[in-house]
Amino acid sequence: MSNNNLAPDGFNFIQESHGINEYNLKSNGLRVLTLSDRSAPVATFMVTYHVGSRNEAIGYTGSTHLLEHLMFKGSRNFNKEKGTAIWDELQSIGAQINATTWNDRTNYFEVVPSEHLEKAIAIESDRMRYAFLRDEDRQPEMTVVRNEFERGENSPFDVLDKNIWATAYQAHPYHHSTIGWRSDIENVSTDRLKEFYNVYYWPNNATATIIGDFETSEALELVKKYFGEHPKSDNPIPDVYTAEPDQEGERRVVVKRSGQTGIVGVAHKTPAGLHQDTYAFQILSKILTDGKSSRFYKGIVDKGLATSLFMYDFPFKDNGLFISYAFLTPNTDNQKVESIILNEYSKIANEGITENELKKAKAQISSDISFSRDGSYAIAGALNEALAIGDWKFYTNFIENINNVSVKDVQSIVKKYLVEDQSTVGWFIPKK
Amino acid sequence: MLFKDKVNEIEVMQGVRSLTMTTAIKDVVTISGSLEGGSLYAPTDNKQIANIATAMIDKGTDQKDKYEISDILDSIGAEISFSSSSNHINFTAHCMKKDLKTIMHLIAEQLSTPSLKENELELLKTRILGNLERNKEDTRKQANIALLRKIYYPDHPNFRSTVDESIELIKKISIENLQNYHDQVFGLGSVRIASVGDVEPDNLNSIIKDSFGVLKTQNLPDISEFDIAQKSVEHKESIHIPDKTSADVYIGQSIGIDQDHKDYIPLMMAIYILGGNFSARLMQTVRDKEGLTYGIGSSISSASYKRDGYWSTWATFSPELIEKGIESTRKQINLWTSNGVSQSEVETKKQTIVGSYKVGMDTTGGLANRILSNDEKGRDISYLDDYPNIINSVSIDQVNNAIKTYVDPLNLVEVSAGTL
Repeated sequence: MSNNNLAPDGFNFIQESHGINEYNLKSNGLRVLTLSDRSAPVATFMVTYHVGSRNEAIGYTGSTHLLEHLMFKGSRNFNKEKGTAIWDELQSIGAQINATTWNDRTNYFEVVPSEHLEKAIAIESDRMRYAFLRDEDRQPEMTVVRNEFERGENSPFDVLDKNIWATAYQAHPYHHSTIGWRSDIENVSTDRLKEFYNVYYWPNNATATIIGDFETSEALELVKKYFGEHPKSDNPIPDVYTAEPDQEGERRVVVKRSGQTGIVGVAHKTPAGLHQDTYAFQILSKILTDGKSSRFYKGIVDKGLATSLFMYDFPFKDNGLFISYAFLTPNTDNQKVESIILNEYSKIANEGITENELKKAKAQISSDISFSRDGSYAIAGALNEALAIGDWKFYTNFIENINNVSVKDVQSIVKKYLVEDQSTVGWFIPKK
Repeated sequence: MLFKDKVNEIEVMQGVRSLTMTTAIKDVVTISGSLEGGSLYAPTDNKQIANIATAMIDKGTDQKDKYEISDILDSIGAEISFSSSSNHINFTAHCMKKDLKTIMHLIAEQLSTPSLKENELELLKTRILGNLERNKEDTRKQANIALLRKIYYPDHPNFRSTVDESIELIKKISIENLQNYHDQVFGLGSVRIASVGDVEPDNLNSIIKDSFGVLKTQNLPDISEFDIAQKSVEHKESIHIPDKTSADVYIGQSIGIDQDHKDYIPLMMAIYILGGNFSARLMQTVRDKEGLTYGIGSSISSASYKRDGYWSTWATFSPELIEKGIESTRKQINLWTSNGVSQSEVETKKQTIVGSYKVGMDTTGGLANRILSNDEKGRDISYLDDYPNIINSVSIDQVNNAIKTYVDPLNLVEVSAGTL
């Protein structure tokens, strides 16, 4: 089924890329992605809503995430009163079920024994437009989410990361983390959450992804049967127009609290995820931290200065951050590690990288891509992140774009983006 | 799909079993392997030797330094990792099909001839000690260590040293300690390799035979004896860790049996009904209805390989809600022990466990781990096919009897860690 003539009634076939087909449900604009692979008796159904914490503002930060929690509290056909609560219906058949929220998207998914695919589709359709969102549910769920926030605050890394983003971004909503500020979690009203739902939870602002053991025409019929009942949104889905002003100088932030060891994070602004430079950043990330022969491993971990490294290199819909994190060994000086990181950037800006480094990074990414197809959930999850930044083919064309990156491209992005005036440096200093 | 039809198992050479499963995934292979070893076989006065010796395996061999090994792996996009548990040294790898020979040769070389250099040991100690210092502020780890120290005797494999004790033990370890341990444990005798993915069994087995011949024979020391945990007596402990906004709580006790005991599966189902997933009792009440926690759950742990395990409930609470949270959790535990579980709960959880079992077959890693673990336990491959029937044959009486026999709500160990 790879052309319009073979698209089932009610769908337009849009395009195919690397075995994944895109359809559009004519009646309401729901995008559907399918990849049939019958090697294991399992299927993943995922709905990605194109709304995330990027769509929030002061007073209702964390709303996308809190709403995601309330979406499990019941809808027209799936609720406790009817004995059909979502968790019970799905976990009783052994499904893996959950939802996640991030900057640019919210996704709900079920990994089910394939004979139960219809149940997953029915549930997701029902809560797309008929979620209860009751105040009596929000109140206990608020304290649940607050405890999730509190758990995050237990971690010095989480706190430092939030501070770096909040310092690097002043106007753009990437300023706040997806879980939001504590006072907003505690005080946002149910009406505000409902408003959020009624603005963004529509078929024309969502993508349904089906991966695994199913017959494509049958699965699409099920999508039409359940999601076909919803109309398009009455109003256009609003976009975010707030742009981050140009940064004009280095920014620094320090977090001090009880703890045992320090952390250094060196962040620089990166282009939007779909920009061609994103691929060179992915190569750079591998060269700096992936494997024992990577530059930072040799220069920081192998010198006994850090126990581990973490490279924050995720592409987002708008400009993001490329952050090198080092988790220091006891008594290591934050400044020393920060200098090593910055010196390595200068070295690459001046001397570039080697062909051998580039070749190794490409091999590592190529292998990562092959393993990202191991299991239906892994594929759906990767497509979800590509959808979030604006094009699902970012996933299918990724390796081709990676293979086009040259030694010069990597040197060029380091010169262009990893400069002092675009940097935000964060230190966690333990108070003993 | 039946495992007994899909898995090719063979003793490739003396002391090396290979279990291979070909799946539809293209080009890639996941390897999950082990040999008997781990902390049970380390000297009684310093069990940390097992962890450190295993962590030194990827720091270079007599033939190649760690950078050469890393270059080989990076150039083909493959990964190999080693770890140590109480009963096994484990190795996992993933690679492209075309690179299987390179990977198997490398695994065998790393296991057989690690260079064990003094400077690498010192560097490793610095890193591990740093991680241990970080563990001092980890509320969950601290609560779990305290629980296990209360339930088990110090000679039991499930007992845990405090962070400070672990630090002192690691500081004392010498190259000679590691060499002695390596000489005894890292060899042929109990090697198992489960490989899943785009793999051709005959070709793989020939590669294994060619690679693993370099290992000498394993000469495992006797396992030190340990006493089964006694029934707990009521105990409450609170660990103060400053500047924490969420506290971790463990409530649990020993069960006195291992996975092979006839009551294990009925007890496992009982504990699943209490807190095995979101639709279990604890999440439905303490979280969903009362909003007291983000996460709460119950499980049996550390009951494999003839070790008597323990059951526990773990939850996180805001410091201002912790009393209410613990009270609500204990109320559910008491209801569960006094009234037992219902027929419909047992039937629903049977479907859940069998369905989850199927969903777990979605990845090569999931399959490889399942095949390896089954073989390590000495079970025939057909056990993996029979497992759903075993679950479905459990009766409500068996489940409720298991609760009565193994859970004593009046004598639970309760540990909290946080800014309390």
